[in-house]
Amino acid sequence: MIRIVAAFGLCALSLIPLVWMVATSFKPPAEYVSTSIALWPQDPTLTHYRVLLDGGMWRLGLNSVVVALGTVGLSLLAGLPAAYALARFQLPKRFDIVFLGFVLVIKLAPPIALAIPLYQVLRALGLLDTHLGLILANQILALPFAIWMLLGFVRDVPYSFEEAAMLDGAGFLKRLLEIVVPLLMPGLVATAVFVAIMSWNEFLFALLFIQTPSKFTLPAFIATLINEDETLWGKLSAMGLIASLPVLFAVGLVRRGLTREVSVDQH
Amino acid sequence: MTASRRLLPWLLLTPALLIFAGLTLYPLGRTLALSLFATDYGFENAKFVGLENFRELWDSRFFRQAVTNTVLFTVVSTVLEVAAGLGLALLLDRAFPGRTLIMTLLLAPFVLSTMVVTAIWRAWFHFDLGFLNNLLRTVGLPGVPWLFDPNLALWSIVLVDVWQTAPFAFLIIFAGLRLIPQDVYEAARVDGAGPWRRFRDMTLPLLAPYLFVAALLRSVDSFKLFDKVYAMTGGGPGQATETVSMFVYRQGFRFFDIGLASAAAVVMIAVAGLLAIVYAASLLKGAGR
Amino acid sequence: MRTMGKALGAVLMLAGLVLPAAAQDRLVIAGRDAGFAPALAKMVELYQAKNPNVKIERLELGGGPLYERLAVGAREKTAATDVAMLDDIWAPEFMARGWLTDLDTVGGLPGEFVKSAIDVSKHNGKLYAAPFVGNIAMFAYRKDLLAKHGFERPKTWSDVVKAAQTIQSKEEGVSGLVFRGIKGNPIVTSFLPVLWAHGGDVVSADGKAVLDSPAAEKALTQFLSFKALAPKGVETYNATELRDAIQQGRAAIAVEMWSSWAGTLDGSASKVAGQVEVVASPGEVKGPAPMLGAWLLGIPADSPNKARAADFIRFVTSPENQKLIALETGNPPTLAALFNDKDLVAKYRWYPAQLEALNVAQARPRISQWARVETILGDYLQLALIGQMQPKQALTEANAQIARALSR
Repeated sequence: MIRIVAAFGLCALSLIPLVWMVATSFKPPAEYVSTSIALWPQDPTLTHYRVLLDGGMWRLGLNSVVVALGTVGLSLLAGLPAAYALARFQLPKRFDIVFLGFVLVIKLAPPIALAIPLYQVLRALGLLDTHLGLILANQILALPFAIWMLLGFVRDVPYSFEEAAMLDGAGFLKRLLEIVVPLLMPGLVATAVFVAIMSWNEFLFALLFIQTPSKFTLPAFIATLINEDETLWGKLSAMGLIASLPVLFAVGLVRRGLTREVSVDQH
Repeated sequence: MTASRRLLPWLLLTPALLIFAGLTLYPLGRTLALSLFATDYGFENAKFVGLENFRELWDSRFFRQAVTNTVLFTVVSTVLEVAAGLGLALLLDRAFPGRTLIMTLLLAPFVLSTMVVTAIWRAWFHFDLGFLNNLLRTVGLPGVPWLFDPNLALWSIVLVDVWQTAPFAFLIIFAGLRLIPQDVYEAARVDGAGPWRRFRDMTLPLLAPYLFVAALLRSVDSFKLFDKVYAMTGGGPGQATETVSMFVYRQGFRFFDIGLASAAAVVMIAVAGLLAIVYAASLLKGAGR
Repeated sequence: MRTMGKALGAVLMLAGLVLPAAAQDRLVIAGRDAGFAPALAKMVELYQAKNPNVKIERLELGGGPLYERLAVGAREKTAATDVAMLDDIWAPEFMARGWLTDLDTVGGLPGEFVKSAIDVSKHNGKLYAAPFVGNIAMFAYRKDLLAKHGFERPKTWSDVVKAAQTIQSKEEGVSGLVFRGIKGNPIVTSFLPVLWAHGGDVVSADGKAVLDSPAAEKALTQFLSFKALAPKGVETYNATELRDAIQQGRAAIAVEMWSSWAGTLDGSASKVAGQVEVVASPGEVKGPAPMLGAWLLGIPADSPNKARAADFIRFVTSPENQKLIALETGNPPTLAALFNDKDLVAKYRWYPAQLEALNVAQARPRISQWARVETILGDYLQLALIGQMQPKQALTEANAQIARALSR
């Protein structure tokens, strides 16, 4: 009993900041620029949302969606074949170990450490200030993660299925697409969702590589609001809530997958 | 057949290899090379200075302070997050009505964008109008200068980090806890071991590898700390919350002292490499068991 | 398979989406946030109404982030900005490096501007920017409170300290003074008038670092003594906090009062309307040297829409719009004649005095490394302010770092 009360209590405590954000997004400025500790708005208003929508905020949301989709697509397209190759083939000279070690270093390396030369790479490709450039840069975070995670899932697909198909004369591509991918689907979906969340929340590269305001992603725009020396808490909260709903929804979808990711990390 | 069979894995690895080559290997090499030059941009007009940039880092009060802050932040936030994660995992280990819901809700802070998290907490930490100080004043306590006391600011950011990422540590530890076979406990119970002894002698040793991995992954992440500091304090007051990532950012994108910034980046990558080795060793050990 | 197909589709769709848009009549304006934002917002609104087919985007940023974005954009030639709002202290770097468009190549700029503001917009005789906000650092005090305790307008910084001490000890809930203590540009601009008044400087006329002087040490020691007279938390104060402290009657003296903040002093949100006197900064061993803080509008050299940008800049700096900005947003104009405009003087009683100050205003060192020098000085000033470093040590180390920055 104590356990249940404690669990609910802790959970409520950790959610207060979120409740505050939701409530503040509906408060007129006079209510949050005050010394009151009332969480719920007395005089709810939709002004902040209206201001954001009139300000073309949907456009920024669309940018975030485009970047997230692109990041997911590219990381799966490059990550799945790589994970398959590492799991199924004997590579010479322990190349797989070297490769995975390198993937690990990239996964752990601070993005800022690569940011300066990346700037030059993206400029050389003519991709500065484009979503495609940001999608490429995001691969630094997404691809190691996708390979790492998919590797575990591919290893879990019994090779005997493929061997059976091979006896039937199925070619490699047919095997991959008709046997491995369907069996991998839960893993692919989980990976996709994590990469999408990662990209949705990514800030540093968006700050550095996107210059035109109408191409900003949501976190990059939120940062410009935070840096103002004013207390725009209502607008920020509304913005924060809109930016958070998709990920909160996604986490509800894949909570089981989250535990799974962790056990993959254990491999 | 055999030739194509030998080529196939390479073909499959090609997209990933291309991306890594262009977006990580080349930048890594360039960073390494740039760290040996005095330059405000690329290699045009660059002056070779050998290890001068590293010596300058070593002498720089701001870099040393950034390293100290980063290490302090990493150690303290990691310990707190693992402890909180362990507590939560033990609390939720036994099934009860509503547990699934609670687990999902607990994960919420972890998946939020750091910018959203920062927006919330910056408002909460506001000295005159922030929620936390309003709360303190309501119960008759004086307000706390969360972000402008140089002795406190770093710990305020630790607080935010623990709130945001303790759920991640929880996930790992919880997964480990589920894997402990129940019969181990049965045997202990038969032997008459109390709950504390069971925890100390059974649970803790069996969980140790998971605690270790949680700590390692959290410390790797804390070591990169940038977003929160950038938007919450800008590294201030004074240098109280300056981190190595912030240092690289300022030298690189504000001062365009690209040589010095690259040298600091090389130091960071070296540390990341070391952590990767530790991590890989722990994974291999885990696989061997 | 279907996921893969969809993913592929998404990537293709993206490729379509990210193709460079066809050349269009576009205007991307990068400007400051806070008190400056309403001025540009108003101008964009009016300009858009007159030119409905132009696609206008406006970005609001703090001073530091704006500098970073503009400088990185100029170095990388991202062509992402058409109109850039520049602090006059960044202008030498932007002009010397060829990052701005010579305005005379895109139709020129009419109008009689305040001399000090047009001076900082020129490089080698060419005009690279339009003075947009004629800001100048003034000094403000509560005449009622000072009079009550027997003080007149402070002539020196020592007078300021005396008055602040008395008021702080006798008036409940009122701090003696307030300044901007947050690191970076704010703490530096707070400190410079004090430094100059003591006869010190950061960089000499011939471009040497000269901060390790006895005069600078005296100035810093005095500046640090301000902290005990200021509200708690002054280390994090920026413009908004300073203005609130004065308007809510929580502080008696503002060490600096930029004219663009003064606009609301007599407004409805102010509890001290009519009681705040805005004057030139005090002196000390030297007379006062008002500090110029003009904001300029320039066209980045890589802008693909220079003609449109120039048209917008001429629109914004026209007499009627400069007057409108001043009346509606409190940002002071840069056209000399407007400071004696009768509507404006009726609203802002200090404008004629401000014009005089502007005419003799001292610009901050015109060196292309100023952004970096300022950051270094700001870091060390704050270390001294929060008590982690002695004044002499802070100045010596800052001087060494500045010397290094200047040599690069």
